[in-house]
Amino acid sequence: MKKDILQFQNVKLIYHTKRGETTAAENLTFSVAEGEFVAIIGPSGCGKSTLLSLAAGLLKPSGGTVISEGSFGYMLQKDELFPWRTIEKNIFLPLEIKKLKEPEHRERARALAEKYGLKDFLQSYPAQLSGGMRQRAALIRTLSTDPDILLLDEPFSALDYQTRLNVCEDVSEIIRSEGKTAILITHDISEAISLADRILVLSARPACVRFSHEMDFGEVKNPLRRREMPQFSAWFELLWKELNG
Amino acid sequence: MKNKEIIYSREHAQYLKKQKRNLWLVWALRIGLLAALLGLWELVTVCGWADPFITSSPSRIGATIASLYRDGTLFYHIGVTLGETILGFLIAVVLGCAIALALWWSDTLRKVLEPYIVVLNALPKIALGPLIIIWCGTGSKAIVFMTVLVGLIVAVMHMLSAFIATDSNKILLLRSMGASKLQILQKLVVPSSLNSFISMLKVNVGMAWIGSIMGEYIVSKAGLGYLIVYGGQVFKLDLVMSATCILCLLAAGMYFLVVLLEKAIVKNSES
Repeated sequence: MKKDILQFQNVKLIYHTKRGETTAAENLTFSVAEGEFVAIIGPSGCGKSTLLSLAAGLLKPSGGTVISEGSFGYMLQKDELFPWRTIEKNIFLPLEIKKLKEPEHRERARALAEKYGLKDFLQSYPAQLSGGMRQRAALIRTLSTDPDILLLDEPFSALDYQTRLNVCEDVSEIIRSEGKTAILITHDISEAISLADRILVLSARPACVRFSHEMDFGEVKNPLRRREMPQFSAWFELLWKELNG
Repeated sequence: MKNKEIIYSREHAQYLKKQKRNLWLVWALRIGLLAALLGLWELVTVCGWADPFITSSPSRIGATIASLYRDGTLFYHIGVTLGETILGFLIAVVLGCAIALALWWSDTLRKVLEPYIVVLNALPKIALGPLIIIWCGTGSKAIVFMTVLVGLIVAVMHMLSAFIATDSNKILLLRSMGASKLQILQKLVVPSSLNSFISMLKVNVGMAWIGSIMGEYIVSKAGLGYLIVYGGQVFKLDLVMSATCILCLLAAGMYFLVVLLEKAIVKNSES
């Protein structure tokens, strides 16, 4: 059993606005092991994104504790590449923010970009790249500081269907081969099944974990191949019921 | 990706030719329109259909500018006004950006100052004329002050709204990387406001001229605004028209410089 890298223990979060307060999460308890790929699904508006902000320490919980052992990399719905920077400069952005000035950091990031097919685009601007390529650049940017845990907030939902399947494949391969721990927030059940080692199903607000399922695809990690396997539709049916039940 | 090796079809060559011809046509018509207006103006005064004493005429404007040039005052007046305008413009832009940054930085400061800014923006600055004369005297200082006053609030409001409009997801992204507020400002807020900065400059070129000429109307001993007021008082319409024409050229020139700056900057960012 690998050690837990992230733990939520009875986490409670209250949102305050002028009109009143909303309990976004209550009794939220789960953990993520090192190297694990966890997908989190739940009804819309249940505060899935909030969960990532809690994990990354951008929000303080109103109750309970969040324990994390490691650094985070965030990936959002849109690539959020800065249009005035070249792809290379975009990928170096986290290094600049963290003031990692040694050349080996830059070399590492550049090598990562070259390894995953961005070599010819390093001096291009984001507007010159396709949506899929941009999202790949966004992932490399996230990986450039070598974070321990990747927080993926619906990173495919802004892409068209075909690109989406391809990028999904891409991202899965890159994350697996870099051996990263990842938490994926998604509203797409099939995406969750095709990518994750484990799926957490959240309840409607206030969010808590209702079900936790280990995926049983054996050694098959490839999203497209998983989609062809017989278990896939069984899982889909079960999760669909749990989400709507 | 550009590829210069591509050989275009004949249809494309024709398309390019047509585009070029259209551009020429537009320029020919622009210049033709100017020439026609000036010609018509000259004609009605030569034929006696209008009194050149009231309407002036292109030839009289030319003669007036030439005589100003001969007695050595042409560039003196241009220099005075241009100096006041540019100085006022620069102070308004720099100070305006600094204030906008401070207001972006502190929510509390922004909320406190909001009504003051709204009132100052609505206030017609010319109402402050007498105060400015008393505070700054009757020299160029008063005119620069007026120019700053006219441009400053516009610069502040323009830049502040640009800073505030910064994409909140990009801010979230930077925060997740552990960025400080200063880093968010440097890496994101300032560069993403570049386009707004250029459009603010364009607006403020106009504002600066309004400010300096208005200032010269109220109090001045030299400058193009002074020539216009003086010409009006002694009924030398040639002088009024001459100064106005020079103003048109200067304002257009300054605007053109901003456009050049825009091209130089934008070339380096987005494609």
